[in-house]
Amino acid sequence: MLKIDDLHVAVGGNEILKGLSLDVPKGEVHAIMGPNGSGKSTLSYTVAGRAGYDATAGGVTLDGESMLDLDPDERAAKGLFLSFQHPMEIPGVQTMNFIRTAMNAQRKARGEDEVSAADFIRLIRDKAKLVGLDDAKLKRQFNVGFSGGEKKRMEMLQMAMFEPRFAIMDETDSGLDIDALKMVGDVVNALRGPDRGFLVITHYQRLLDYIKPDAVHVLAGGRIVKSGGPELGAELEKSGYEQFIEAA
Amino acid sequence: MTALSNPSPFEAALEDAFAARSKTNEAQAAAFDRFASLRLPNRRVEGWKWTDVNAALRSVTPGEASKPELIAPSPFAALGALEFRIINGKVSLPDEPMPEGLRYGIMDPVATIPELERHPIATLNVAMTRKALGLEVLEGSDIERPILIRHIVSGAGFSFAQTMMRISPGAKVQVIETYEGEGAGFYSHLCHMVVRDGGECRRVMLQDCSGDSVVNGICAVKTDKEARYEQTSLSTGARLCRHETHAHFWAPSSSAAINSAALLSGERHTDFTSEVKHMAPDCTVRQLHKGVARDRSRNVFQGKFHVLREAQKTDAKMTANALLLSDGAEANHKPELEIYADDVECAHGSTVGALDDDALFYLRQRGLSEAQARALLVEAFVGEVTESIENEALRAIFEARVSEWLEQA
Repeated sequence: MLKIDDLHVAVGGNEILKGLSLDVPKGEVHAIMGPNGSGKSTLSYTVAGRAGYDATAGGVTLDGESMLDLDPDERAAKGLFLSFQHPMEIPGVQTMNFIRTAMNAQRKARGEDEVSAADFIRLIRDKAKLVGLDDAKLKRQFNVGFSGGEKKRMEMLQMAMFEPRFAIMDETDSGLDIDALKMVGDVVNALRGPDRGFLVITHYQRLLDYIKPDAVHVLAGGRIVKSGGPELGAELEKSGYEQFIEAA
Repeated sequence: MTALSNPSPFEAALEDAFAARSKTNEAQAAAFDRFASLRLPNRRVEGWKWTDVNAALRSVTPGEASKPELIAPSPFAALGALEFRIINGKVSLPDEPMPEGLRYGIMDPVATIPELERHPIATLNVAMTRKALGLEVLEGSDIERPILIRHIVSGAGFSFAQTMMRISPGAKVQVIETYEGEGAGFYSHLCHMVVRDGGECRRVMLQDCSGDSVVNGICAVKTDKEARYEQTSLSTGARLCRHETHAHFWAPSSSAAINSAALLSGERHTDFTSEVKHMAPDCTVRQLHKGVARDRSRNVFQGKFHVLREAQKTDAKMTANALLLSDGAEANHKPELEIYADDVECAHGSTVGALDDDALFYLRQRGLSEAQARALLVEAFVGEVTESIENEALRAIFEARVSEWLEQA
């Protein structure tokens, strides 16, 4: 499914990712854990296609198709979703209008029919309930005046709406209380399926109590330095990252 | 009549046109004499350093403007508006019975507007305007139909117009003004408005002239006790356009909202200049300007709040934001506060920037193309101004104009 092969990425002339390789097969959830500054956000931005995050070597493919030459919106239409670590507030942009425009832009790019207004409203109400956002929040300007937790709920709402083939969740758990963590787990577990993959980037084990990953990787110094089963997360929680910083 | 020394071709043509007129009065002769000493403003004149009208008029063929051939219906007609047309300065009244609560007619131009006596174009306008449109909303009347005043310019040359409006005590009215038309001419419009005790005037303006024209609209408005004046302007056309608002709070507890947006492309130049003079206590003003400039266009904003000593408890806020979409685009902002009262709340803020890269990436990650994402952000930016139009159908026409501008990108 998502295959990253010997990826080197430079940001502003500094090499951040130094030969990162990773393979998340269909139907699996992988977690990436790692210390601050190890390149976790660089990885998510590069895979999603942010300008200024240039791959100097290596490749990224989704179901065999190279992603690196595509624009961010083309990657989105291919089913790649990024849940942002710091979701934007966008004043003046109406939430429902934006999500519907985005949904239809993706559908159009895939040659699918646009979603009707009535179907869209039904769908978004349904998903809003799932992520714990009330209707009044949907009528507001996008994320304006939302708390950190509400912004993360808005990310999960969009993920639930778009049903992406592959989702990268960049520290979705940071700043969330237990109820919200459980909600994130519920959304992921509801979407989990044989044709879908997830890459969950996190500092802490606790999200992984709600989302049982198939594999855990440690990212340090721009490379995956260790991979293992779900038990690796718990292990890291006890031992910390120091050993890997030295190793990297 | 004082002769202009070393006049520009445009000034010489104005002088000839004025001399050739048979029906000018003493006030107009005096105004022309004042203009002869003031002259067309250029960038060395305070208040005009970013907007050089004299230079812009070099490419306008002087002479009296010609008549347009065809006038298309206005999109605002769909709102059931009562339509007045001022075609190259010539007023034509609606061809229907006068609605109750409203009086109007064609009248002699104003002899002078004291606070604008040193204003070169206002003075020129007083000298040159032949006939004015006068409108009065009678006491306590709430005019349901919007008043539409279409300023239509055509061809080369110059034309001058005046409108005088009196909103009587407790009266309410919605005024829509459009500046439209083709041709490389110069158009000057002077509006003189009084909103009496408890009266309310909501005024929207859409300037959408062809890209060769030079336009100046000046509105001098006085508000009495507990009167309300709301103005929302959208300027998308003309090669050079300067909108001026001079609001005077004469009596306590009056309020105003002055909102404007400029959408600029090519080499266009738009200038929103305003002065709000607080002469009485407890008055409130909110001012918001948004300028969007691409290519090599220029957005100018000059706003001044002038608070006299007697104007205690003034509450005044001014914000001007510009969005530059191209490297060659420019914005010049000059927010100004001049305050002599000690118990007031006055604030101003001004920003100039580009579209936010973080927001653009966010929108594109969700599937919007670059063009869609940019359009959505620009629309959101300008939306704060169009939102201030309460009437939904009216606001929709303004929003549609913004979308249309974005599609032309």
